[in-house]
Amino acid sequence: MPRLFRSCYCRNGLGMHIPDGFLSTPVWATLDVTAAPVVGYLARRAQRGIEPSKVPLLGVMGAFVFAAQMINFPVGPGTSGHLVGAALLAYTLGPAAAGVVLTAILAVQALVFQDGGILAMGANVINMAVAGMLAGYLPYSIWGAGRWRRQAIFLGGFLSLMTSALLALSELLLSGVAMPAAVLRISVGLFAVSAVLEGAITLAIMQALETINPEFVRQPRAEGGRVLGWIGGAAVLLAVAGVAVASAYPDGIQSLADATGIASQAKALMRAPLADYQLGMLHSVFLRKAGAGLAGLGLIFGACMLCGKLLARQRGA
Amino acid sequence: MHHVVLDRWSRGESALHRRDARAKTIAVLVFLIVLATARRSFLTLSACYLGILVAVIIAAGLPLMGVLKRAAVVLPFTAVFAAISLAAGEPMRAAALVGKSYLSALAVLILVSSTPLPQLLGGLERMGVPRYLLMVAQFLYRYLFVISEEAQHMRAALQAKSGSLRNNLRNREKFGAPAGVLSVLFARSYAHAEGVHQAMQARGFRGHFLTLSGRSFARADAVFVAAALILIVGTRAVVEVLV
Repeated sequence: MPRLFRSCYCRNGLGMHIPDGFLSTPVWATLDVTAAPVVGYLARRAQRGIEPSKVPLLGVMGAFVFAAQMINFPVGPGTSGHLVGAALLAYTLGPAAAGVVLTAILAVQALVFQDGGILAMGANVINMAVAGMLAGYLPYSIWGAGRWRRQAIFLGGFLSLMTSALLALSELLLSGVAMPAAVLRISVGLFAVSAVLEGAITLAIMQALETINPEFVRQPRAEGGRVLGWIGGAAVLLAVAGVAVASAYPDGIQSLADATGIASQAKALMRAPLADYQLGMLHSVFLRKAGAGLAGLGLIFGACMLCGKLLARQRGA
Repeated sequence: MHHVVLDRWSRGESALHRRDARAKTIAVLVFLIVLATARRSFLTLSACYLGILVAVIIAAGLPLMGVLKRAAVVLPFTAVFAAISLAAGEPMRAAALVGKSYLSALAVLILVSSTPLPQLLGGLERMGVPRYLLMVAQFLYRYLFVISEEAQHMRAALQAKSGSLRNNLRNREKFGAPAGVLSVLFARSYAHAEGVHQAMQARGFRGHFLTLSGRSFARADAVFVAAALILIVGTRAVVEVLV
């Protein structure tokens, strides 16, 4: 079943690639508008943080993640999984470079393999290359240097896949793609299985990599505190998406919350600030959804920029 | 390997192949947006658009069945959700999902099979996409086949050496073998990238790609964009007014 599921949902690996035609206009437009400056920022940051000789490295590492899908990890009788790689890239190249590599992978997949849409590219980039990757990096940056290192790596792999998948599901729900509660629950359950697998695979590869050459792996402390601002942004992003779905589809989110417990926390956490937007003068459903989405994402983007600026200044001083 | 097919298609010689990458990109983006926002009389509209795309494929000298079949790779994903929509009693939504995702994939496929990828990325760069990202994408595409081939060899070796690995070993060891293979692949890719960079520096690489064919946006390209706009928007307008 997981293999069938993967072949349906994640044909080429990175998780759930949303094709064109699934997302409603407010959703894809909002996410495209959000993804463009984020990717620009990541590209600039990666370009500054990595010596010029590493440009081929980033491309070849993207090819590595592509090729890694051919190596199967046996799980149980008849089932197997493969590396998805967002967290692994963040641990080995650093988060900014990992974001650029993942975006490049998504672009090549959309153009060359017709896996994932062009208008939906913003959504896919936000889900996998930005939020998923950062959520994967979060535990590593906090506990990666201490005695919980192994657990942090596992958790990172788990979170990266889970975040991407939940965001993709939220966006589909928000776009009005019908998903009965039972289907949703099964999807989330299977995604959780895939995510556990991703955590285990990421951990196994990290350990093997460190035995070959410890320099392949970036130590989390070298990145310092500014990463945490980004991570916070990713967590909030996840929360907002959950809430947006919660407000639009109370039934859908209920089963999501039952299945994971994540969304319910998110709901409690973010209910207050977003309520204002919805009680405003936006009356039509279309405008309200778009408004809430835009406002939420704008909020996050602003918060991320602010965190980045503040932390950068702190380091400079 | 099917991506090689794409490379061959994109080096054809038709009027569509000769258009500037930017012109084709704009036309496809307009098509995608007009299609994505369509609501009323969707079945008629998608039939019209399918007709137009088929005409474009034939005019560009691309193999019709091959292109139609390749675009169908989106259908398994779509079918899952279309089936759910059908079960939920929304046949129109199911039809829209299938129609929109297939036609979008077809349009993108026509773009990439009439434009070599380096030209397409070059066009995107001149449209403002960060150059750094595009260089990474270009390296990725170039070395995808090299690294994939290496991965295939290593997979064969892994299977040859670990016959009954699937069932007989403890969990830790089960994961150890493929993880070891991947870490070696990682190390080789790393070394490969360093070699690539040195070779490129020896040939004067200064941080960005230089292209020989400095294609410019000619008058024919402007005409092409205008015609595409009129055709795409006009079709939808006519269909929505008449049907």
